[in-house]
Amino acid sequence: MLEIKDKQHQKLSRCIMYLLFQFALRTVNSTRSAYAYMLFSPSFFTHYDDGSALLKSNDSEDEGLRCKVNMKSMLTVFKSLSSIERSVERCKITLNTPEARLVFQLYCRHGIVKTHNLAFIECETLQAVFSKDLTPNRLTAHPKLLCDAVINFQNNQEEVTLIAKPDKISLKNYVDDEPDPKKVVLTEMHLDPNEFDNCQLGVDTEITFCLKELRAILGFAEVISLPINMHFERAGRPIVISIDSDKTFEANFVLATLADCENQTTHTQSVSQNTSKHRMKSQSKQKRSNNSRVKSTAPSTSDRSNGFGNNTKNKRPAPSFDEEFEDDFDEMICNDPTVDQLSRVEHQNIPNKNTTASRSTHPVTVPNISHTRQSNTPPLQSSSERADSPVIPMQCETAKISFPAETLNQSEMQDLDEDLDDTIPGTPPSKKFRSMIFGLSQSQDSQQSKNKPLQNVQVLAEDTDEDD
Amino acid sequence: MSLSTQQADNDSQYLMVAKLDNARHVSTILKAIHFKDTATIFASPMGLKVTTEDAKCVQANAFIQEAIFHEFTIKEEQIIFKINLTVLLECLTIFGNSSVPGVTTSLKMCYAGYGQPLLLILEEDSVVTDCSIKTLEPDEVLDFDFCSTNVINKIIMKSECLKEVFSELDMTSEILQILMSPDAPYFQLSTFGNSGSTQSDFSKESDMVESFQCTKTQTNRYKISLLKPTVKALGLSTRISIRTDNRGFLSLQYMIKNEDNQVCFVEFYCAPDEELDDEPGH
Repeated sequence: MLEIKDKQHQKLSRCIMYLLFQFALRTVNSTRSAYAYMLFSPSFFTHYDDGSALLKSNDSEDEGLRCKVNMKSMLTVFKSLSSIERSVERCKITLNTPEARLVFQLYCRHGIVKTHNLAFIECETLQAVFSKDLTPNRLTAHPKLLCDAVINFQNNQEEVTLIAKPDKISLKNYVDDEPDPKKVVLTEMHLDPNEFDNCQLGVDTEITFCLKELRAILGFAEVISLPINMHFERAGRPIVISIDSDKTFEANFVLATLADCENQTTHTQSVSQNTSKHRMKSQSKQKRSNNSRVKSTAPSTSDRSNGFGNNTKNKRPAPSFDEEFEDDFDEMICNDPTVDQLSRVEHQNIPNKNTTASRSTHPVTVPNISHTRQSNTPPLQSSSERADSPVIPMQCETAKISFPAETLNQSEMQDLDEDLDDTIPGTPPSKKFRSMIFGLSQSQDSQQSKNKPLQNVQVLAEDTDEDD
Repeated sequence: MSLSTQQADNDSQYLMVAKLDNARHVSTILKAIHFKDTATIFASPMGLKVTTEDAKCVQANAFIQEAIFHEFTIKEEQIIFKINLTVLLECLTIFGNSSVPGVTTSLKMCYAGYGQPLLLILEEDSVVTDCSIKTLEPDEVLDFDFCSTNVINKIIMKSECLKEVFSELDMTSEILQILMSPDAPYFQLSTFGNSGSTQSDFSKESDMVESFQCTKTQTNRYKISLLKPTVKALGLSTRISIRTDNRGFLSLQYMIKNEDNQVCFVEFYCAPDEELDDEPGH
């Protein structure tokens, strides 16, 4: 049991972990492009007591306690996997609510007991909305097959493209914005559908997602030797990798995928995502332009923004600990040059109140943008999209505008298609294109567009043009 | 024949001559206390004692008794000099660190007297290296005044289990708290870092504990940065003795076995971390 816990903790670095009383672990990475959810049934443990007998019935409407622990702290508990495998006999996890401590006790050989008291803070649920059962494509494989496949890619390879066709499944390394094609190593690996335990392909697909995260997931799956299921749809929609053949626990990993403009021309959602993608490409190669459906329910996102700016909403049993959270995030912001530009631009523009999601793009930089809890789905999706790409809030917001398909009329959609054809792959679309989405008929440089009053429009970041 | 008599004549000019078949016996021990650049060497008919200190709070002593050497002559009761330990170690390992079985570096150390350099002659596979290291004026070394009569708690245990704990100490914690008690939890090491607190409890019933003599419950805190160098010595050792006295001073003694199964000792003394305004001290 410990091994499994160790592996899962090992791979989810730099995430915030959420704990549920019935022992589920959820984490999301800093760019919100990868989400993991593991649910442990009581049978996973040798002894499980959720203390529900002690809970008053009117304590909270949701059952159980939700709290989050800094991932780094969790990882220190399981720092040395080999020594844990060697010497730890059992592990006892208790929640010390009065002192806000999550206690890990490792009972080792020779009568040694190691106790780790990790501070936690209460939080709301982090929930990704994904429907793995409704995806047209599904692959089931033993992790060994995929491990052998991904080992062929270079260690520093960031992203991989999965191409699913009825006759073969291919894995290709994804090359992003490479100036010199001669300097690039292209790796492609073909797998026969028969090699998979189960192969159901409804739609021919080509999706690109993060290889590093896939490697981590495969590493975990290999340790527990359970087959993994990959549920996916098309570029832009997330890929869900799940391990649920074991009765004792269930793991779901949701990874964002890149939206590929060459293949998607008709769907508005994809188009809007493409815009964002192009922008991101030109701006920064580092940040992945993911537009996934990983979204947080309103409470949790606001929790994040609140958490870093405002103390009133959540109980704070350990103030110093929160400061550490803030510091981590601040550190990430300060170290990222693009983010500064973002915040600068952010402040120049009036947040668009008309758009349904008026949430700040970056949870930390603009915490005062309304934290209204929107219950309708589309805005929340958009807001999470923005959260996906903290570098370029504007683009996501623009993307969001066209997002609810019902608001776009037919003519606008046609316009989009035409313009899309005009774009050169790998370069940002023309400014005229952008203006069409927003119903503005300007074709000047984006400097002007930026300064336009916002009605249904989000002004584009000036940085984009500077980088071109 | 003439060569050896010649050598003996040459050697007579030195106050101290020490010969050793395997320089690693010395270099390994010295590495265990190498957390400072300079060390004070005390030579006596009993052997060598090498001392390093830091912050006037921690002191490490390495004892290389004369039985380790296959020849050890000394003309005075005590010879003291200070030397750059980093340079000394570099010279001792001049033929490299790799331990190929069968190939050893032989060492001859000579010291002519006050102000004279320490001479090292190292030979491996008929390649000879001569080193001459300047010696320095010895500083006063701390006397921790740690006598066994004042020892309150003493635990002797095997090093294995501690090695892991010490190497995984939470370095974000400023202090390491050591609790020794005749009652549960018997022996506990605690750190208080950014991620929370961590305790490691060792039961006295544990088969790792060879001797457990604790008379009173004592909790002492030591700066973790001062104790971190002990990890190296711990890694080399097979057994460790942990003692605290009535002032809270900590004495760690490590028994190290070298390649020829000879036993050497390394000990660390550390002053407790006082939170009050009065001087930390001994």
